[in-house]
Amino acid sequence: MISLVRYLAADVLRGQRYLAPLLVFLGVMGMLFSADAGQPLEAYSGSSALLYPIAAWMAVVVATSEDVVRREITVVSAGGWSRVLTAAALVAVLFALVLAVLASVWPVVTNPHPYTAGDFFVGLAAHTGCALLGVGVGLLFARPVLDSIGRTVLAVFAVVVLTYPLGRATPLGWVLDALGHNRVSLSLLGTVVVGLALVSAAVVAGVRRA
Amino acid sequence: MGGYLGVVLLDQVSKRYGRGPWVLRDLTLEVSGLTVLTGANGTGKSTLLKIAAGVLKPTSGRVSRPASVGYVPERFPSDVKMSASSYLAHMGRVRRAGANDVLERLGFVGSMTAPMSELSKGNAQKVALAQAFLATDVLVLDEPWSGLDPRASDELVALLEGRTALVSDHEGHLASATRVDLAGGHVTIELSRVLEPDVLQALEGVRSVQARGSSVRVVVAPDRSDQVLAEALRLGCSVRSVR
Repeated sequence: MISLVRYLAADVLRGQRYLAPLLVFLGVMGMLFSADAGQPLEAYSGSSALLYPIAAWMAVVVATSEDVVRREITVVSAGGWSRVLTAAALVAVLFALVLAVLASVWPVVTNPHPYTAGDFFVGLAAHTGCALLGVGVGLLFARPVLDSIGRTVLAVFAVVVLTYPLGRATPLGWVLDALGHNRVSLSLLGTVVVGLALVSAAVVAGVRRA
Repeated sequence: MGGYLGVVLLDQVSKRYGRGPWVLRDLTLEVSGLTVLTGANGTGKSTLLKIAAGVLKPTSGRVSRPASVGYVPERFPSDVKMSASSYLAHMGRVRRAGANDVLERLGFVGSMTAPMSELSKGNAQKVALAQAFLATDVLVLDEPWSGLDPRASDELVALLEGRTALVSDHEGHLASATRVDLAGGHVTIELSRVLEPDVLQALEGVRSVQARGSSVRVVVAPDRSDQVLAEALRLGCSVRSVR
C-alpha cells in the first residue's frame, strides 16, 4: 500500500494540476491574514471555511490524475480497485492534512493576537475536520463514481456551495459556528469523524461503481 | 471455483454496460497457455480482456485468476508526465517485483528519464509491455503489437513463448497458440462418465474442459461441435446437454 501511495502521490506532483488549488489556497490565506484577523479561534473560521472547497478540489485532482487507461493498468498491477481507491483516498487525505497544518500555523505567525497550544490544536482539529469533509465530497463525485469531469465539477461545486447556507445543519456549520463564537466544542471532533466516514463511503462507492 | 497458478478461468461470463446490449453472453474459457482472441471489431475482445485482467466485473458469471496479472490496454496513454524509468520503478515496487530486460529486448531507443509524453507510440508501447511482464503468472494483452517495429514484434512473440497469456491478435503473430474466435460463438456440451478428459482437451476446436462435480463441461467452437460429440460418445461418455 505504501508503494502505491508513493506512486499516486508522485503522479499527482508530476502532473502539476495540484498547483491551481494550492495557489488559490495560498492567495486567499494571504488575504485573510493580511490584517488583524480577530481572536485566535475566530481567525481560524475563515481558513476552515476555505479549506473545505480547496480539499474537495485537491481530492478531484488526485482522483483524476491518472487517465482512465493508466488507472486500469494500476488496478491490475495493484490487485484490485479497492487497493487503488484506498491509496488514492490516502493521498488526498495526506495533501489535505498538509494544508490543514499550514492553515493552522499561518495565523500563529501572522495574527497579532497571542496563540496558546490549546488554540493551535483546536484550530488543527477544525481544519482537519473541514479538510476531511472536502476530501469526502471530492472523492464521492470523482471518477470512478462519476465518469465525466464536467459532472464531477458541477456536483462538487453544487454540494460545496449548498453547504454554507445550511449553517449548523451540516458538520461544516458546527465547526464554523464554534470558531465564530470563539469557543471550543466537541462538535469539532464530530466533524473529523463525519469527514472520515465520508471519505470511507466515497471509497466504498468507488469500488462498487468500478 | 478455485483458481490455481497461472490459469484464468471464466465461467459462464456475460457482460453488458448499463442497460445496453449484451457484449458477451455465457462465455466459458480456460486460459492455461498461450490463447489468442480473434473476432471483428465490436465482438467484445477488449471487454473480455478487461474482465480477465480484473479491470471490469462481469454482469454475471465467475472469474478466477492468479495473483500476479500483467495487463496492456489497447492504447497506452500518450500524455503521461512521469518518465519511463520512474514509472517502471514504481510499478515494480507496487508489484514487489524486480526489474526485467523486456525494454532492452524490444529495442527501446527513447530517453528513460524524459516524460513518457515525449516518447514515440512504439516506445511508449514497449514501456507498457515492460510493466506487464513484471507480472509472474498471467499476461492479458490487448493488441500488443500496435506500434511495434518488425524486430520488436518478433521479439515479443519470443517473449510470450512458454507464458500463460490471453492476447488479442488481428495480425496472426501467434500462429501456434490456441485460438478463440469471439465472433463465432461457442457450444457448451455437458458430459458424464468421462474417463479421459485429457483426450477431450486435445481435440481440435475444444476451448476448455472443466470438471463440475460428476460431470464435465466442454466448450467447443461451433464448427467442431459435431466431431467433439462423436468423439465423446466413442470414448463412452454420456451427453447430458448441448447448448
